[in-house]
Amino acid sequence: MAAQTQTPVLAGRQMLRRCAFLAAVFGMLSLAVLLARLYKLQITDHGFYEQLAISQQLREAPGTAARGVIYDRSGNLLAVSASVDNVYVSPAEIEANGEDRALIARELSGILGLDYQDIYEKTGRRGSWYVTVARKIESDKADAIRRFKAENKISGVRLETDTKRYYPNGRLACHLLGFVGTDNYGLEGIEARYDDALSGTAGRSLRATNAYGGEMLLRRYEEYRPGEDGCDLVTTIDASIQYYVEKHLRQAVLDYDALNGAGAIAMDVNTGAILAMASLGDYDPNDFLAVSPEAQAIIDSAATKEEAAALLRDAQARQWRNKALSDTYEPGSTFKIITLSMALEEGKVSPGDAFYCGGSTMVTGRGTPIRCWKSGGHGSQTLTQAVQHSCNVAFVNIGLRVGAERFYDYCEAFGFLKLSEDPDANLTARTGIDLSGESGSIWWSRNTFCSKKNLSQLAAASFGQTFTITPLQLITAVSACVNGGRLMEPYVVQRLLAPDGSVSFEHEPKLVRRVISESTSQKVRQILEQVVGDPTDGTGRNAAVPGYRIGGKTGTSEKVSLEARTGQKEYIVSFIGFAPADDPKIAVLVFLDTPSDKSGIYISGGQMAAPVVGRMMADILPYLGVEPEREDSAMTEMPACVGLDLPEASEKLKAAELRFRTRGEGSTVTAQLPAPGTSIAAGTEIILYFDAPVSPDLETLPDLTGMDLDQARDTLSYYGLYLTTMSSVTDPERQTVSSQSLPAGTELPHGTVVEVTLIDSGEELLGRY
Amino acid sequence: MRYDSARLTGLQDTPETTRRPHFDGPFFTLTLLLLVAGVVMVLSASYPRAWYDPGHVTGGNAAYYFVRQLVFALLGVAAMLFASRVPMAVYRRCAFAFLGFTLVLLMLVPVIGVKANGSRRWLGVGGLTLQPSELAKLAVILSFSALICRYRARMRTFRYGILPFAGILGAIIGLLVLEPHFSASIIILAIGAVMLFLGGVRLFWFVGAFGAAGTGIALLLTLFPYASSRINSWRDPFGDSSDQGYQIVQSLYTIGSGGLSGLGLGGSRQKFLYLPEEHNDFIFSVVCEELGFIGAALILCLFALLILRGYWIAMHCRDRFSFLVVGGVTSLLAIQVFLNVAVVTNLVPCTGISLPMFSYGGTALLIQLFELGIVLSASRDVPVH
Repeated sequence: MAAQTQTPVLAGRQMLRRCAFLAAVFGMLSLAVLLARLYKLQITDHGFYEQLAISQQLREAPGTAARGVIYDRSGNLLAVSASVDNVYVSPAEIEANGEDRALIARELSGILGLDYQDIYEKTGRRGSWYVTVARKIESDKADAIRRFKAENKISGVRLETDTKRYYPNGRLACHLLGFVGTDNYGLEGIEARYDDALSGTAGRSLRATNAYGGEMLLRRYEEYRPGEDGCDLVTTIDASIQYYVEKHLRQAVLDYDALNGAGAIAMDVNTGAILAMASLGDYDPNDFLAVSPEAQAIIDSAATKEEAAALLRDAQARQWRNKALSDTYEPGSTFKIITLSMALEEGKVSPGDAFYCGGSTMVTGRGTPIRCWKSGGHGSQTLTQAVQHSCNVAFVNIGLRVGAERFYDYCEAFGFLKLSEDPDANLTARTGIDLSGESGSIWWSRNTFCSKKNLSQLAAASFGQTFTITPLQLITAVSACVNGGRLMEPYVVQRLLAPDGSVSFEHEPKLVRRVISESTSQKVRQILEQVVGDPTDGTGRNAAVPGYRIGGKTGTSEKVSLEARTGQKEYIVSFIGFAPADDPKIAVLVFLDTPSDKSGIYISGGQMAAPVVGRMMADILPYLGVEPEREDSAMTEMPACVGLDLPEASEKLKAAELRFRTRGEGSTVTAQLPAPGTSIAAGTEIILYFDAPVSPDLETLPDLTGMDLDQARDTLSYYGLYLTTMSSVTDPERQTVSSQSLPAGTELPHGTVVEVTLIDSGEELLGRY
Repeated sequence: MRYDSARLTGLQDTPETTRRPHFDGPFFTLTLLLLVAGVVMVLSASYPRAWYDPGHVTGGNAAYYFVRQLVFALLGVAAMLFASRVPMAVYRRCAFAFLGFTLVLLMLVPVIGVKANGSRRWLGVGGLTLQPSELAKLAVILSFSALICRYRARMRTFRYGILPFAGILGAIIGLLVLEPHFSASIIILAIGAVMLFLGGVRLFWFVGAFGAAGTGIALLLTLFPYASSRINSWRDPFGDSSDQGYQIVQSLYTIGSGGLSGLGLGGSRQKFLYLPEEHNDFIFSVVCEELGFIGAALILCLFALLILRGYWIAMHCRDRFSFLVVGGVTSLLAIQVFLNVAVVTNLVPCTGISLPMFSYGGTALLIQLFELGIVLSASRDVPVH
C-alpha cells in the first residue's frame, strides 16, 4: 500500500485532468463539429438536397387531354377520340398479396385474346410494379377485367385511362386525315400537322410515391395540374365529294390496272380550299399498320424475318404516302394550260391565230426534231384547235413566242419555283399547303433555261416536259388560270374551335399573287371548254357530262427515269377539269400511275383519266347544286305504267321514247320493269306485265365493253336489265363502253339498271397527249 | 466542471461501504428523455418499411419494429435500474470473468454465428440475436478499469501499462477481424485508448499508437475490399449514387430535406424505402428530416448534456475503479454518438455504427442501458454536499 500513498494526488490529478479533457472533446468540441456539419447540410444546402429528394419522390403521370374532333366542312365527323383503357400488371403486388398468377394469366388471356404463357411470364417479373399487358382496349373488355378484379379481389391487375382515335368513315380521306400513334401523337396528314392544336395540353398529376413507385402511406400527396383539351378542327374537306372522288378513282385503278396507284384532288378554284384529295393504295387509319391482302401475301412469302420486316415497312410507307402531295411528275400536256395562259396574257397569241403542224419541228440547240404526238401532223389549226388537239408543235411555237425569260418569270409567278436572285440556283417550290409531306418541284436554273444557244428546255417545257412538279402545284396553278387569274394558297383546315366552342382560328383564303388578268382567264376558260365540249376536235371529250359545261385538259407523261432503268415505257395519264366552264367552282385533277392497256383501252389521259373526271363531275356537280343547262336526249325517265291499260301505257312510253314488250294476258299493267323514275337509255325495250308474275330468276351480266350504246342497251334489255350512263352521248357511232358499274358475270335480278361509261376511241384520238 | 480540489486526495482505491439511497437524477432523466425520443423515432422511421415489408420480415405489421423496440426499452430500463443497484465492487470482481465469457462468445461467432451481408457477427439465441462485440465493449471497459486499478502505480511502464492491455485488445480485435467487423474494431480500439488515457499511460505511447492505427487501417483497407470501396463512396458519394454511394446520398437528401424546422414528427418522405437502414444506422437522418436542424440540435445537446453529466459523475467518484468505468462508459457513448452522426452526415466514411437509444436493435439497447445503469450505480457513491 506504499505506492498508493506515494502518488495518489498525482495520479488522481492527472486522471481528473485527462477526464476533463475528454469531457471537453467529447462533450463540447464534437457537438460543435456535428452542429456545424448539420448547419451546412440543413440550412446552407437545404434547397439543393430538398430539390433532389423531391424529384425522386414525385412521380409525374401525364393526364390526358381530349383530342379535338375533326369535321368535314358541313360538320360530318371524320375523326373522334374515345376513352379506352390500358391494362398492366404489378408483379410486385401480385407477389406481396400472394395472388394467383395462373388465374390472372388465364382470365386476362381469355378476355384479351392474348397468349397465356406471355401474360403468365409478365406477372412473374420480380420487383417490377408496372408491366404493360395490352393497350387501348375497348370498354367491354375493360369492364370484364374490372369484374374479374372485384370478384377475385385482385389488386395486381390495373387499368389506366388512355384515348384511342376513331375514324368512323374508315379509309375515307385517310391521307388527308393521317393517323395517331399509340403514344397519341399525330403521325401523318392533318393529325400530324395540327397535332399541337388537336392534342391540347395534357394535365399532369404529381404523386408522392415510395421508392418502388407505390403509395406513400399516411403521406398521400397528389396534385393535379389541369390541362386544356384540344381544339376541334373543321376542314375544307367535303365528305360527299371525297366519297365520289375515291369511288371513281378506285374503280379506275381496277379498270385500268394502274400498277402504282392513282391520285386525285378536288379544289375550290376561288379559294384554294381542298374539297377532296385521294391517293391509292390507301389504308384504314383505324388500323394503319395493316397492309393490303396482296402486300401481306408477298410479306408472308418472304424468305427471312428481316426481309419480311423490310417488305412490311416498304408496304406501309407506300400506303401512307399521299401521292397527290408527295409525288412529283412531268405534267405533260396538262401544263399547256399554263403556256396558253401566259402567251395570251403577254399578247403573243390570240384565239384567231393560225398554227401549222407538220408532225415535227426543229429547235435551236437540239439535234433531233421535236415530234407531235400525231405523227402525220395536225395541219393548219387555230389557237383553240391547237389546244383541242393538244398539238405539241403548236405549243413549241407558242412557248418560243413567249420567250425563255418571260416563260421562266411566269413559272415563278405560278408557284412552280421560288423567286430567287441567284440565276444559277437549281430551284424548287412548294404550295405551302397546311399538310406535312409536301414535295417540291424540280426546275432548271434560270441560266440554263434561258440559254440563247439552246432552246430545247423552253421547247419541251412548253408542253410540260423536262421538269417535275406535284399534282397539287398543277391544280393550284390551273385554278389560277381559270378563276380570274388569282393564285390562291391551297389549304385544308378552315377553322379551329376552342374547347369552349369559340373560333380560335379562321382561315381566310390567301391570295399569293395575281398571275394573269380576268379577261385572259376568260379566254382560257372558253378555249378549255372546247377541249371537252367539242365532240369532233376536243381531245378531252370523254370527260363531258350531259348538261354541264366542263373545261379541261388531258395529259400523258412518260416516266423518263423509269424507262432509262428498265427499258419499259411507263406512263402517268392525267386529266384536269373544271366546272362550270363559264364560272368555275371546282377543279378536279386525276392521275393514274402506270396503267396497263390489257383492258383494251389505249393508254392516254384522254382515254383513261378524262372519263374518270367526267364521272366524278357527274356526281359532284348536282351535289354542289349546279343546275344542268340542257337535258340529255340519250337518256330518258321511265314513266309509271302500273294500272294503265295497253293503249294508255303505249302512249306514255312513246312519249318517253321507249319501246316495250308484254307478258301475260290481262287488261291492265300489273307490274313493269324497270321501276318508274329510273333514268335509262332512250329506245330501250322495257317489259310490261299484264297479270303475269315477274320472273324471280337471276340473269348473268354480260361483258359490255367495246359495244356501242345501242348494242349495249339491247343486249341488256334482252336479259331484262337496263342501261344508264353519266357519259355525254356525243357520237353514238363511235362511242363505246369502256367500263360498267358491275363486273361481267354478276348475277342480277330482272330490272337492275347497270351504269356504263362511254368513251370515244376514234382513230384520231389514239395518241399520247 | 466544478470540483473540490481537496477531495482529489480522497480518490480511493476501494468503494465506499455506505451508499447513497439515490442515484444521479439528471443522468437518469436525460437517459429516459433520449430513450423516449429514440423509441418514438423508431416508430416514425420504421413503419413504412414494416408496412411494405420488402424483405418479408414483418408480415406487413407497421408497428413490428416499434413494438419490439418498446419491449426492449422497458426491459432495458429494468436492466438499468437493476445495474444501478449492484455495488461497484461486484462489477470489479466480475470484470475478468465477464471478459473471459465475452471472448468465448466471440470465438463462437465465426463457428456458429448468423451470417448477414457477408459478415458473421451475430449469435442466435432462441428468437433473439446478440452481437458479442457489444458485450466486448463493456468487457474492455470493466477489465481495463480493474487492471488499471491493479497496476495503477506501474501504468507508466510498458510491461504493466501497455502489454496486458494490448494483449486483451489484440485478442478481441483478432476475433472481430474474423467476422469481419470493422466498425466494432474501431470503437473497441478507441475505447481501449480512452481507458489507457484515463488510466495515466504516458502520452508518448499514444503517438506511437496513432501511427500504428494509421498503418493498421491502411492494411485493413487493402485486405478488405469492402472497406476501401466505402472510402471512395465517402469522398464522392454522388459519383456512384446508384450503387456504393446510394446509402450516403439518400442520407444527405434526407438530412438536407429537413431544413431549419423539419417536416414535422412523422413527416419524413425519405423513409418510404428511399433511405436504407432508416430505423437503424440511419435513424438520425430521419430525425433531421422530421425535426429539422432545431430538433436535431436539441437531440445532440441532450446527448452532450448526458455525456457531460457522465464525466461529472466520473470526476466525483470516490474510487478509481468507478471513475474509470464511468469515464469509459461515457466515452463509449460519446464515441458512438459522434461516429454515427458523423457517418450519416458523411463527415467520415460510411460504416455500421448504431446511435445509442435510437437505433433499432433490442439486445444492443439492452446492453447500452445496462452500461448506463452501471454509471448510475457509481453515482450512488458520489458524496452528498
